[in-house]
Amino acid sequence: MTIDGYCTLGVDREYDLTETSLLNAMDRARVERAVVVPPDRFLAVYNQDGNENMQRAVRAHPDRFISTCSVNPWYGKASIEEFRRAVLEGARMLVLHPFVQGFSANDELVFEVLEAAAEERVPVYVHTGPPGNSTPWQIVDLAERYPELDLIMGHCGATDFWNDVPDATAAAPNIYLESSLARPFHFARYMEVLGKGRGILGSWAPLNDLSFEWEQMRTFIPPDVFSEICGTNLARLLAKRGAT
Amino acid sequence: MIVDCHTHWGMVWEERYQGNPVEWLSILDRHQIQKAVFMGHGNLTRPDLCETENDNLVRMARQFPERLIPVGSCWPQQGKKGVAEARRLIETLRIKGLKFHPWLQGFTVADPFLGQMCGLAGEAEIPVFFHDGTPCYSLSEQIAGLARRFPSTRFVLAHAGLLWNWRSALLAARLPNVWVCLCGPHMRAIELLCRYADPDRILWGSDFGFGLSDQIEYRLNLFRRARISNPLRDQILKTNPLHLWAQ
Repeated sequence: MTIDGYCTLGVDREYDLTETSLLNAMDRARVERAVVVPPDRFLAVYNQDGNENMQRAVRAHPDRFISTCSVNPWYGKASIEEFRRAVLEGARMLVLHPFVQGFSANDELVFEVLEAAAEERVPVYVHTGPPGNSTPWQIVDLAERYPELDLIMGHCGATDFWNDVPDATAAAPNIYLESSLARPFHFARYMEVLGKGRGILGSWAPLNDLSFEWEQMRTFIPPDVFSEICGTNLARLLAKRGAT
Repeated sequence: MIVDCHTHWGMVWEERYQGNPVEWLSILDRHQIQKAVFMGHGNLTRPDLCETENDNLVRMARQFPERLIPVGSCWPQQGKKGVAEARRLIETLRIKGLKFHPWLQGFTVADPFLGQMCGLAGEAEIPVFFHDGTPCYSLSEQIAGLARRFPSTRFVLAHAGLLWNWRSALLAARLPNVWVCLCGPHMRAIELLCRYADPDRILWGSDFGFGLSDQIEYRLNLFRRARISNPLRDQILKTNPLHLWAQ
């Protein structure tokens, strides 16, 4: 099973990934399935529109795409309602982007959303990295508070929080590392230190070229590690709620 | 001809090869990189090693003058002593550029002694490289602030804003004395920087040398696979770096 753990599907500002272009890129890279996420605008404000767009894409290609949803916790109760609605419609991962959505990752603002994700047995992907309101150790705060919740540390804090990644990830068993922006040569090292069960390969197409990222990962990562991070680990998290 | 405008003589290389860059250069050979902007590591992390490291960089560059362009560093927190080291770099060692890493070195760009150093670089007509893209001391817009204060000095944003600050790097590059080095941004940011920044002030770099691993392959292929016209790609890899020192 090969799954690309993070692709932004849509056309907006620097994003230009259509369903067709994503499918073509997946075919070129021998990727069976891709987790699809709405562009930033839909993470920040138009949550329901973005979530519905992903659901439509998954209905059109149920064997290729895996739906996510995002809610901005500033919307309070409405964000919880939208999250539960999206999950009922098929979303299998919650995406939070504290930089774009305007909160600190470990702010109590997000707690109710995470509680709902834990209840729904849906993993939570959190973008991490500069400017500093979503860092590896903030993810540890969340992981300790919600030990039953699987948290995916998007981009491994790249670039400037890379120093924190090994210790922070080792501090909580429910943290997984997603590779996009972390670069294959660094990600290979993380897997060496933390074990191959903690890695999830994501390209973050179209900011990165999907085929190129997969090709580079196949070059840099030892085959026995690659076979786990290229989809097996993520599939295990997604399966907690049932078949995707 | 490819010029890598962002490399380091890492502390691990110094520990292993003690001032002998032959093995280091063989990695560049693997990727057909003929010339490299050759920056330190020890001089960016240890003020007590700074002078020794600067001497070491220049000595290695003199062994391979066609391949290595030495760029030294100094420490604003050392006050007059730091400024004296900047003068020694420029006047005695004939250094080709200064490199600052405010995040690692732990100073703000508002430091008055840094201002003196930037002024000296401008008088000597050598570029000043800055780590950029990192809060809170190394943001691209902070370097742009220096460029406004020192219009006769050329500043290189050595990471073009990295992954999250590239829009700021693009804005900074509107200033005529700011150059951007494509070393760190993701592919789409590279494409947009190439589309909107002045094509004559764009460089490419790998950041090779901090560790022993070869990250040039990834960085160079990332740049080669980006949607950029071939003439512009060649200009960035070959022509622009030479112009940085020819002005």
